[in-house]
Amino acid sequence: MEILYLLIPLSVVLVFVIGAAFWWALHSGQFDDLDGPAHRVLMDDDSAAP
Amino acid sequence: MTVAIYGEFGHLAGQAANTAACFHCGLPLGVQTWKVVVDGAARNTCCLGCQAVAGLIAGQGLGSYYRNRSAFAPTAAGDIVTPAFLEFDLPEVQAGYVYAVDVEQVEAALLIEGVTCAACLWLIEQRLLRVEGIRAATMHYGANRLRVRWHTSRVKLSAILAAIAALGYHAQLYDSGRSESMLARERRTLLWRLFVAAFGMMQVMMYAFPVYIAEGGMPAGIERMMQWAGLVLTLPVMFWSAVPFYRGAWRGLKARALNRDVPVSIGLLTAFAASVLATANGAGAVYYDSVCMFVFLLLGTRFLELNARTYAAREQDRLARLVPAIATRLPQYPDTNFREEIPAATLRRGEFAEIKPGAPVPGDGVVVDGVSSVNEALLTGESMPLVKRTGDSVIAGSVNGSGALIMRIERTGEQTVAAAIVRLMDRALEAKPHLASLADRAAAHFVFALLLVVAVSAAAWWFIDKERVLPVIISLLVVTCPCALSLATPAALAAATGSLSRRGILITRGHALEALAKSTHFVFDKTGTITSGRMSLIGVLVVGGRSKEAVIAMAAALEGASEHPVGRALVAAGPACARYQPGELRYVAGQGVEGVIDGKRMRAGSPGFVADLTGLPLPIELSFVSDDVTTVALGSEGEWLALFTLGDAVRPDAKQVVEALSAQGAELHLLSGDRTPCVKRVAARLGIPFYAGDAAPADKLDYVRKLQAQGAIVAAVGDGVNDAPLLAQAQVSVAMASGTELARLNADVTLLTDHIEPLLAAVSISRRTLRIIHQNFFWAIAYNVIAVPLAVMGLVTPLVAAIGMSASSLLVIGNALRLCDKPQRTASRE
Amino acid sequence: MQDNTYNYKVVRQFSIMAVVWGIVGMLVGLILAAQLIWPELNLTPWLSYGRLRPLHTNAVIFAFGGCALFASSYYVAQRTCHVRLFCGSLAAFTFWGWQVVIMAAAITLPLGYTSAKEYAELEWPIDILITLVWVSYAVVFFGTLAKRKTPHIYVANWFFGAFILTVAVLHLVNSAEVPVTFWKSYSAYAGVQDAMIQWWYGHNAVGFFLTAGFLGMMYYFIPKQAERPVYSYRLSVVHFWALIFTYMWAGPHHLHYTALPDWAQSLGMVFSLILLAPSWGGMINGIMTLSGAWHKLRTDPILKFLVVSLSFYGMSTFEGPMMAIKTVNALSHYTDWTVGHVHSGALGWVGLVSIGTLYYMIPRVFGRNEMHSIKAITLHFWVATIGIVLYIAAMWIAGVMQGLMWRAVNDDGTLTYTFVESVKATYPYYMIRLLGGVLYFSGMLIMAWNIWKTVVGQRPFDALIPALHPANTLAHA
Repeated sequence: MEILYLLIPLSVVLVFVIGAAFWWALHSGQFDDLDGPAHRVLMDDDSAAP
Repeated sequence: MTVAIYGEFGHLAGQAANTAACFHCGLPLGVQTWKVVVDGAARNTCCLGCQAVAGLIAGQGLGSYYRNRSAFAPTAAGDIVTPAFLEFDLPEVQAGYVYAVDVEQVEAALLIEGVTCAACLWLIEQRLLRVEGIRAATMHYGANRLRVRWHTSRVKLSAILAAIAALGYHAQLYDSGRSESMLARERRTLLWRLFVAAFGMMQVMMYAFPVYIAEGGMPAGIERMMQWAGLVLTLPVMFWSAVPFYRGAWRGLKARALNRDVPVSIGLLTAFAASVLATANGAGAVYYDSVCMFVFLLLGTRFLELNARTYAAREQDRLARLVPAIATRLPQYPDTNFREEIPAATLRRGEFAEIKPGAPVPGDGVVVDGVSSVNEALLTGESMPLVKRTGDSVIAGSVNGSGALIMRIERTGEQTVAAAIVRLMDRALEAKPHLASLADRAAAHFVFALLLVVAVSAAAWWFIDKERVLPVIISLLVVTCPCALSLATPAALAAATGSLSRRGILITRGHALEALAKSTHFVFDKTGTITSGRMSLIGVLVVGGRSKEAVIAMAAALEGASEHPVGRALVAAGPACARYQPGELRYVAGQGVEGVIDGKRMRAGSPGFVADLTGLPLPIELSFVSDDVTTVALGSEGEWLALFTLGDAVRPDAKQVVEALSAQGAELHLLSGDRTPCVKRVAARLGIPFYAGDAAPADKLDYVRKLQAQGAIVAAVGDGVNDAPLLAQAQVSVAMASGTELARLNADVTLLTDHIEPLLAAVSISRRTLRIIHQNFFWAIAYNVIAVPLAVMGLVTPLVAAIGMSASSLLVIGNALRLCDKPQRTASRE
Repeated sequence: MQDNTYNYKVVRQFSIMAVVWGIVGMLVGLILAAQLIWPELNLTPWLSYGRLRPLHTNAVIFAFGGCALFASSYYVAQRTCHVRLFCGSLAAFTFWGWQVVIMAAAITLPLGYTSAKEYAELEWPIDILITLVWVSYAVVFFGTLAKRKTPHIYVANWFFGAFILTVAVLHLVNSAEVPVTFWKSYSAYAGVQDAMIQWWYGHNAVGFFLTAGFLGMMYYFIPKQAERPVYSYRLSVVHFWALIFTYMWAGPHHLHYTALPDWAQSLGMVFSLILLAPSWGGMINGIMTLSGAWHKLRTDPILKFLVVSLSFYGMSTFEGPMMAIKTVNALSHYTDWTVGHVHSGALGWVGLVSIGTLYYMIPRVFGRNEMHSIKAITLHFWVATIGIVLYIAAMWIAGVMQGLMWRAVNDDGTLTYTFVESVKATYPYYMIRLLGGVLYFSGMLIMAWNIWKTVVGQRPFDALIPALHPANTLAHA
């Protein structure tokens, strides 16, 4: 199973990448309002009516 | 207010068009309607205000608001004249609220009132973004807060506020730099710690499980790599996520106390150190998975607790806005009535200030001109407004009624009566009985015993088999890691806090649930607690031949624009939209109002005032009316129409609460600063056996002290600052939502809805919580009684220890989660 | 120049091609199903079962599913970020590049050029083109997010983003190969290592291509079509991160009872079981979005597609972990049960959610408010659903029967049945499967007709981006 010497370090790297993504999301306020986005999407009127 | 549920989502507009309801606010239409064209169809609205707002929305191309909303809009003010808000452009008013983003742009947070559904928030955002010079406008849904950024050179704050007001909403400047943003930062940090722990746990388990499963069948090289990977991912968990535990333990040790963070920290550090050694040496077991899982579970419960606290702080902040920030100073009085708007804090003794109708009084002082009724509920707890004339004293924080007053400032800031009450309350707080939490006491003993057992068994194994000392110690520390014990209380408290907050009950102090569950005596304040604290219509005596509804509607129409509490109570009782259009309205201060309805001249007001119009003697019914209510008469030329009695009515749910608590064996008391006969009558009506009237704040304090001296555990239920010392002295205090800022900040429990009935839920949930905490303790102790001897004998492998520890924690959490019964999901917003 | 409109052109192109490739891929599937019943249908080498099978999987997963994902992710990213797609020419390249990849697959696979890795059969020159297209896709998608006008990034975009990034990593690692000639290469890994990499890829391709991407669709189009906010936005964010946490390690369950070490197999089993939690959390969140509006399901066939797709998602994410349990796997492995499981996910989840999405999106990007015929959508829904039910029921029964026949032994230890007996016993179920496939395929034809009637004669339509500052916009114009 030598392939694990590739897969496991790869997974550790990915873990830190995901961690960084979460850190960015948290600190850019992505999780500050967890009700509004659901409503905002609905308010976006995408009907093709003129 | 909740008007509609999501089941009607998107169909409100249709309904409003089909039925005789206002297209904008949903109120029933009167005889006269106002047309407005939205999305190409003509709609009816109930009043000029709604017509204006709807026209504005449609004119801005925001008509889709009506298609998407799930609740009707608030009814727009009858007159559509919106204030100019010019005073908000003053730099001293903006100071502390408006922050510079760069050279040109500034940002401020606004608190929006009148939001009924998600579409309102969209509407406000979109409207503001159409104002030239506004760069960004973002609403926060949970808190009804708006963050707006604008070019100072292109638009003024007053214009922004006016734009919001024109939509029918009310905006207030909001200082976001205070407590809440601190909590938000704390929440972010904790969330990040939690995420690191959760992510670390998942990933480390992925490296740990194969080793368990392989049971030695794994090549040594792979196993070591798994260990190193586990170590790398445990590092952030140990040295970032778990930091609060080390800090707590350090604080405890410095104070020479063994708190529950001590064994947690010892367990974590030992297990981690042993694992690092094992990893480095390539021999021995690693416990990275146990470490990460432990940290995650503990942080998870802390996060739930913090969430509840954030919510509480937000509510408190919203209500703290009652205090005036701005005062109107008359610098040249009495020579001229030149006015200037200044921050209330800069008022000085001897200066003159004008108090507009409906505005709060900025400082203590004496009235020098004008007549008005002033509501001092903040201090005396009494809802009956007092008439203030020249020479009468007024106190800061009371609210002016219908007339304008000019006052001379005597005392401001720390010297005011309100500040004195705060100090009284602080003193009571200091003397508060200290109820150490059950968990801390138990954990301290447990920790001590545990450390003793660890030391003894380490010594014993040293003589039996040196090789096994470390595995045994680690097994012992992991298997007993006082996870279940530490979680027993916080998990149940967090679950209960969440469950309560969904019912509109906020727990602001950790001990409140325990104390509430154990309370033997409930002491109620009368005004604002047992009664609603507001003037409202109690009875109607129809004198002429009209229907009851008709006379109420007439009186409401006459009083429609009144600021007086009596007038507002009548308006509130009347049909919501104008049934009658009164003309030639004329107000007579301290007397009443006169107007023409359906061609007839009518008056509503004091019986004497109305008698002047009717030209008849006072109606005989008047003699049946009790003295402690206010009477308002309605009459037209040559005819008496009705007598209205108004007063501070007992809450409809008060009797139910009293009966339920008595049935549960609690002893009930009623305290009030109100006159004793009045208190007696209320107590008798509700069946409260003990009562005391004419009680000053200090008397209330003594009353509770006496009860406590007899061994009572007292829960105080109140609303205003005048009972704040009472609230502070009791073992647990409950404040009503209509209460004022100070009581709220110091109460252990706050009822957010304007009902007293949630108190019952609070009591029953707190009792269930205590029961569950006891069960959890029983389990945690039973588990340890079994696990510790086994571990000491070296019969528990670290794997079994980790599983046992996790299982007992899960059981405790699962038991606690039984408190999270889901209340009915109401998608609509308050 | 067109800064005030959304880039709907690339959405239109991908949407239409999704339908075209769906029909092609499913037609190939029908031929394969028929060949299993009537082997004489293997007329020529390049139409033989062994060469058509990878063509079928590539066409439905990467051509049909891929085009649907491109179209919907471009649509959702623009609509939720309130900006035009980043770098229109690169977006156009992703469309044409992806079509070339598909055409190349459609030619090389029947000719027998294959790297012999399941779901990654394409040879190295095509792999390189895929890499180029995929990197461009990532640039366009994340570029659009980067220049967004809204502060928040809607949860659907997180799912799309994770799908794009993970597929890039998976493709790069698994397709590492040594070219020998222009149309032949060897994998950089050997033996069981290659198998491990292959199923690490294979399972995560299912996880991120066929799940995360389509969950992104689900989180946008179900709320939009139902006109209700997602049941719990909070839960959807938790769902995203939980899925990211747990997906990576479930791959080895494809290699139960192989040369893979026992512990690695058990690991795959454990993490497959854990996966059940986030999967069901997401499904419940999606379905509960309709709470209080269930009546809309009666009248709205597009919503039917979307919601029923979620039920199939729930079914197959329950079935999957069950089949990953080693004892269950001992019965199901190598039988037609696996085929049934895959198609419950592919036809039920991926197919139905894509079809619902296309029905929502296509009229809007062609300047119409709804499809030409709602009745035809309803008909399509019922035809497709009956087709799926026939398909998966037949395959489940056939699979269990095969598994039981293969393991049956006589008292003296000899096998009760020969292999060919189990094949013979399967015939009736193959017939039912073919019938199910024909029904599903005819649904696609109804869809094609409906879309033709919807778009023919329509002028290209690009919706206006909500102008944030009319005053400023005017100043620019």
